[in-house]
Amino acid sequence: MNKPDQSRLYESELEQAERRWHDAYDATVSGAKHSVNRSGIDIKPLYTPRDRASENFFDDISFPGEYPNTRGIYASMHRGRSWTQRQLIGWGVPEDYNKRLKEILAHGGTALSLIPCNSVYRGYDADEVPPELLGTCGVVVNSVEDMDIALTDVPLDRISCALNDPSPFTLLALLLAVAKRRDIPWQKITGTSNQSDYLSHCVANHMFFRLALPGARRVLTDHIQFANESLPGWNPLSVVGQHTQQAGATPAEAMGFTIAAALQYAEDCIARGMDPDRFLPRFTFFFDISISFFEEIAKFRAGRRLWAKLARERLGAKDQKSWRFKFHGQTSGVDLTRQQPLNNVARVTAQAMAGIFGGLQSLHTDGYDEAVSVPTAEAARIAIATQNILREEAHLTDVIDPLGGSYYVETLTDRMQAEIEAVIARIDAAGGMYTAVEDGLVSRMIGESALAHQSKIESGEQTVVGVNAYQVDEDPHDYRSQPYPEPAAIDAQIARLKAFKRNRSNAEAAGALDDLARCAQGTANVMASIVAATAAGATHGEVCAVLRRELGFGQPLAIV
Amino acid sequence: MEWLQRILAGDRRTVARAITAIENDPARAESLRGALGAHLGRAHVVGITGPAGAGKSTLVNALVGELLKRGHTVAVVAVDPSSPFSGGAVLGDRIRMAEHQANERVFIRSLASRGHAGGLSTATAHVVDVLDAAGFELILVETVGAGQSDVAVAKLARTRVVVYPPGLGDEVQALKAGVLEIADILVVNKADLPGADRTARDLLSVPARRGAESKRPVLKTVSTTGDGVAKLADVIAERAAGPRERRENAVNGQTASTL
Amino acid sequence: MAEFASTYPPKVIVTKIGFDGHDRGSRLVAAFLRDAGMEVIYTPPWQEVSTVVKLAIEEDAEVIGISSLATDHLLVPRLMTALREAGVDDVQVIVGGIVPARDEKLLLDAGVARVFHPGTSLEQIADEIRALSARARAMREKETP
Repeated sequence: MNKPDQSRLYESELEQAERRWHDAYDATVSGAKHSVNRSGIDIKPLYTPRDRASENFFDDISFPGEYPNTRGIYASMHRGRSWTQRQLIGWGVPEDYNKRLKEILAHGGTALSLIPCNSVYRGYDADEVPPELLGTCGVVVNSVEDMDIALTDVPLDRISCALNDPSPFTLLALLLAVAKRRDIPWQKITGTSNQSDYLSHCVANHMFFRLALPGARRVLTDHIQFANESLPGWNPLSVVGQHTQQAGATPAEAMGFTIAAALQYAEDCIARGMDPDRFLPRFTFFFDISISFFEEIAKFRAGRRLWAKLARERLGAKDQKSWRFKFHGQTSGVDLTRQQPLNNVARVTAQAMAGIFGGLQSLHTDGYDEAVSVPTAEAARIAIATQNILREEAHLTDVIDPLGGSYYVETLTDRMQAEIEAVIARIDAAGGMYTAVEDGLVSRMIGESALAHQSKIESGEQTVVGVNAYQVDEDPHDYRSQPYPEPAAIDAQIARLKAFKRNRSNAEAAGALDDLARCAQGTANVMASIVAATAAGATHGEVCAVLRRELGFGQPLAIV
Repeated sequence: MEWLQRILAGDRRTVARAITAIENDPARAESLRGALGAHLGRAHVVGITGPAGAGKSTLVNALVGELLKRGHTVAVVAVDPSSPFSGGAVLGDRIRMAEHQANERVFIRSLASRGHAGGLSTATAHVVDVLDAAGFELILVETVGAGQSDVAVAKLARTRVVVYPPGLGDEVQALKAGVLEIADILVVNKADLPGADRTARDLLSVPARRGAESKRPVLKTVSTTGDGVAKLADVIAERAAGPRERRENAVNGQTASTL
Repeated sequence: MAEFASTYPPKVIVTKIGFDGHDRGSRLVAAFLRDAGMEVIYTPPWQEVSTVVKLAIEEDAEVIGISSLATDHLLVPRLMTALREAGVDDVQVIVGGIVPARDEKLLLDAGVARVFHPGTSLEQIADEIRALSARARAMREKETP
């Protein structure tokens, strides 16, 4: 028999076998419910080679590190180098940050992440806000001195730093000032301006300083340009899928919005005259990992493949480094429950595995008490231990893209990609992500998905263990949660800030802030000016106040 | 009546309680209206309507800012549609006036249309009366913008502003009757977008209602930047200073006496 | 007069004070309350306490629902004081979101009517608001001339 005949025979045998199986399945299954994932894709009970009939291995799958990177952006992936264990840390005053950071590094953390106090997110210094809100959800860092203390004994030239620093990137400026103090050249600084994506902040969680959109756009582009020129080891852009997904977007929508935003930022950089092969290698992404296990894996593989194609074909990038979809994943706090909190350890484990199988570069695992507070030391230790166990006991780094080739996972990757592309097409039709956000389209889409998901939980269609099923009588006082910072520590922090302002050269700081104001009024690179201002002793709140005045204060979109 | 004195003194809490009573309690509303009758006519009532997408709320926000700069006290009545299914409503117009929320010279009240056509409930006119008696110099009534049926605002307001987005094109020819006819001032908002000039020209060519003395002004504004808003405030002020018409009560034709 | 008290929709403010910006919950609650026939003043996050008081007065709100995800509930005692000082303490206040058990007492002692934790159904919240709206109206009936 010749080959075509053989393959026709094979196909016909397959078809018959599948029918046989289906009959047997129908005969044994009773009342199996229809399964749909969060992105609205129907999930069959079985996937077979027949689902892969139109697959083209080299176009669709290929090898890790080879375009379109479906199986991973590097040839060796986690087998060569494990994902970075980058736990988000932030609470209290700089000394508290330093203490917890050292504990996590001793227990397996391999990189640093800093989340500042909400007052910092809002653009204020500690002496401008109600003290009861200071340090409860993030660390108070306003000055070079604060950053220096927070990073005591931390070798800045050897550890990657992710600063949660959405516009105007004063935390990065403070880090650079600390590096200068320690005689560490900026070329050696590595890390990311974490969550530097103002569009996702604007539309989803509003946790950003709140410049009006045009001002935020200018500051970000300046920031990317500054980093590309002066900080070769720094990723100035971290485009965020976490915010929209946590606000209620489906996984496909969240990936679609993220890629659409990245395209918008890329276009803004191109409009500025920047070369895609220069800035794209420093674009990174930040995602939520929900407990919809396979959906998340497929989401990441699809996003990675799609980004490679868009970077090459739509943005015209020629360097393979420009096509790489580098991303950090954080297990989703939205899936965690206040009820029976230890169950969250199981949830975080499943979420982390999905991220690892999805091929992330860096991972944060939540503490089991996430639904109640900032993690206690114990919860934080369990979270990092989870990653160690998955790597070293379950050996999840042994094989690159172990689920690649699975009939289900490859098919789901294709289906997710189609959904993601549909979202991007919708955003394109609306004029791009900036316009779509401004017009409220994205907000409305998120709201609809949030409502759909909530309805499923309230009706019981989606079980949440301990909440709408398997409930127990429990005393919420039974478990510890992280206390608030001691008022005395907060008072001391405020006093320290006041002393800092007294001891610096106020003439220098004021002069630098005036320069910043002039720069903001004109077109020179505002990031360079922010760096100069913090080096001259200006504080975060002072920098934000100038920019608020010059670039305008935006209002959060609020659409129900 | 005890409330009357407090309303005349501008006590915010009482004004708000009176508005609630007018919206919901016909008997109390009746006695309130009776008591207020002698104290009306000082406020300049400006109706602001127009189709969705025109950016009315942002324009009202910018206009309030301009009026505050000129030293006025301003009340805003923002009417949002009630859900035809549940009867509930999300009253979200005042969100766009965030920068004025805290200003003591501004009073903002949201009303749900409660199913009334024309975007205005029966009670709206009486609500305006309470604010008039309370001493607000300008009362801006922003309505649902349900299209051609916002005529009810005509009877309520002394100055009727209709706001359009750019790019109406041929639709302008169709806008002969209804809301466009009653407009005293036409505004093309989002004038930084293409098509604004053309829309403004088209609107100029639409005649006002019979008996209007002259061509009414067509202004261009960009409410997000404030362009053109000072001019709008000027034109509104000119209307306040001009010959007074009788302002009709939308419900039963009672006219409020004017000075 | 009293019969009218139940014939018009409850008037509710749904808002966030403090610094946190996560509004998924408050948006869902606002939409649900609308669909349950209530009139909802919905604000974006980051409202000042003084603004919320002004809103409550101007809109003659019966219930204020504070959504708090981070630790912004720690500002609620300030809100309760401000409402009292403005003479608006018949407004019923509820807090929903992430509130550690130890803080629940703090809020109730400050005059908050009810604290809701994650996992509460939207229907439960709506029921409570209906009851509190009736309570506010009853209190107001007494002081009307």
